[in-house]
Amino acid sequence: MEAAARGLVIGILICQIALSVVLASVFLIRPSLTSATGWKILAFIGLCVLPALCVVGGMNTHMLRSEQTRFCISCHVMIPYGQSLYVDDPNHIPAQHFQNHRIPVDMACYSCHADYSIYGPLKDKMQGLKRIYMQYVTTPPNPITIPGGFKNAQCLHCHLGARSFEENPVHAAMMDALKSNQTSCLTSGCHDTAHDVANLSHQKFWTSAQ
Amino acid sequence: MKLSETRIRSLLRVSSALVIAGMLIEIVSLLWFHPLSFVLFAFVAAILIGLGILVYLVSIVFVVVPPAER
Repeated sequence: MEAAARGLVIGILICQIALSVVLASVFLIRPSLTSATGWKILAFIGLCVLPALCVVGGMNTHMLRSEQTRFCISCHVMIPYGQSLYVDDPNHIPAQHFQNHRIPVDMACYSCHADYSIYGPLKDKMQGLKRIYMQYVTTPPNPITIPGGFKNAQCLHCHLGARSFEENPVHAAMMDALKSNQTSCLTSGCHDTAHDVANLSHQKFWTSAQ
Repeated sequence: MKLSETRIRSLLRVSSALVIAGMLIEIVSLLWFHPLSFVLFAFVAAILIGLGILVYLVSIVFVVVPPAER
């Protein structure tokens, strides 16, 4: 359903682009038409309003697309991270979240790696551009690391307020330290198996019946 | 600064060409599912379209109004 809606949005955007191309082609071939008032209005729509809308629509489509799991793993270096979502081991945090639909499966990477602060999406996009630059111009780091480390806020965005999380005595005892990021959810020894890409070849994988 | 009608027409042609080129590149970026498609959109298509709009706006801002219409 969501994929159909996404397809419809892209379809509408492409129709808008096609209309704009047709109008712009008319003024490319016959610019003299703009002497008449009606054509002046059409020129304003075809060369200013529609192109501006197409840029906004295109930016929005690209931003939404970049939140999809298949977008993230379309980058070569991310393929093992995508595979790690299918590891058949309950200790693998990303795999458990993905396989049990604790996060939307088509936005799996974004759900846990998005910066949920006010300028977060912009920061994420800049970080993504930096990664593309490293991939094609310089050398990408090996292993891939998250600048500043994985923040608890990304876990707490969903878990904070959840009964099972708050009633857990271990969580309750260190709630302030978790909220202030003094104790990491991942590296403090509690949930320390994330994307173990170095050992993927030794893992058993889960296959969905679908 | 006022521009002659011939100059305005050539500006309209340039604007149209830039908008068409930008739009075609935007279509390619929308149909290509790859991280580079965003780069193609943001750094090529959007800039070409933006320039096209700017050239069009220049052509209407500096248009010559014939004395009879003033």
